[in-house]
Amino acid sequence: METIYQSLVAVNPVTLIAQICNLFIQLFIFKKFFWDKILAILDQRRQAADQEISDAKAAHAEADAMKATYEQNMKQAQEKADSILANAQKTATLRSEEIIGQAQAAAAQIKSKASADIALEKKKAINDAKNEISGLAMAIAGKVVERELNPADQAGMIDRFIDELGDNV
Amino acid sequence: MMDLSINGAKVLATIENVPLFGTVQITQTLACSWLVLLIISALCIWLGSGLKVTGISRKQAVAEMAATSLLNFVRGNMGTNFDHYIPLVGTIFVTSVVSNLISLLGIWSPTADLMTELAWALVVFVLITYHKIKASGIGGYLKGFLDPIFVMAPINVMSECFTPISMACRHFGNILSGTVISALIYAALAVANNALFGFLGSSLIAAVILAMVGAGVLFYGRKAKKKFFFVLGIILAVLGVLAVLTNLGATYPWLMVGIPAIPSLYFDWFGGCIQAFIFCTLTTLFIKQAAGE
Repeated sequence: METIYQSLVAVNPVTLIAQICNLFIQLFIFKKFFWDKILAILDQRRQAADQEISDAKAAHAEADAMKATYEQNMKQAQEKADSILANAQKTATLRSEEIIGQAQAAAAQIKSKASADIALEKKKAINDAKNEISGLAMAIAGKVVERELNPADQAGMIDRFIDELGDNV
Repeated sequence: MMDLSINGAKVLATIENVPLFGTVQITQTLACSWLVLLIISALCIWLGSGLKVTGISRKQAVAEMAATSLLNFVRGNMGTNFDHYIPLVGTIFVTSVVSNLISLLGIWSPTADLMTELAWALVVFVLITYHKIKASGIGGYLKGFLDPIFVMAPINVMSECFTPISMACRHFGNILSGTVISALIYAALAVANNALFGFLGSSLIAAVILAMVGAGVLFYGRKAKKKFFFVLGIILAVLGVLAVLTNLGATYPWLMVGIPAIPSLYFDWFGGCIQAFIFCTLTTLFIKQAAGE
């Protein structure tokens, strides 16, 4: 069979239409088997990267929150310790004042009791002294007067004497 | 003396009496287009398979780099509103590059047929028109032809029609010029080959002397460290040896070995890639311009 050539610039509608169809077939294959797949992979990778970044940010925020909580706890503990210390000081002061007050009261009581005791003892001593002196005086008087007095006169006289004496003492 | 004929696509089959079309010629262009289609589809399926998010293979790295370059190219020209046209632009680019470069394998390049580029340009033209109508309404689109005054209408219609034609012809013309120039180079080399070896091959003694002189110049150049004599010596010696071979009956167009690769570097490799790039750049720019953004 003889070889036929087209002319160098030939218009061939069949070729034209076939080439348009070829372009669309090629486009379909290119898009379906290459472009869409590559885009999907690139998107997935971008999403993975975004996910990593957001995860890192979340972890960072979490760490920040933990740090804030920790600092707050520390502050609260410090405040609590301070308040406990202040309370203790206050209580101690109160207690010491109370103790001092009690001690003072006790001391005052002891002092007043002592004063009373002293007064009583004094009185007792004076009474003893009176009795002693009266006895002594009676003996002296008996010797001096050399007469028997009846006890009643004697006692009245002695008491009078002592009273006079006591007033002078 | 110089026998040169440059033809269009070879007609592989002719079918008579097809409804609507009449006589249908199935040409080399179509067969090679299907080959290109298969090559690119296989490439797409290979590159698009076994993709992973992390720990990617070298293949995937190349595929992703290509995809990202394409994305950046389209976004750089059109902004981010036309992302749905990226596959089309990519398809036209890849098809164009593969079609242009397939001629290096001695296969008919589908882009050496105007119909191929016209098909792509018509698709782009439909998109341009769609975006023009979308941007200003059908009335605004038609009114645009009367701009600046109504007598300009025929010129405006022509300029509109010449958009796809100029796109197609620019690409086709560059590929055709590459084809024509390489055909011319081959023909010229055949003539030069015949002249050179016809002369040298006429006498075995002359050939041997040439080879020996070449070897002498080569050794002199090497010893004296003179590059010019060294290279000249190599050329003369090789010519002499080839002339001896021709004399002994081993005739072959020796000059066609290697030499056509040098212009082919520009006309086929560079030209093929740059035309694909230009076509895609124009596609993006025209669509963007039509959308009025």
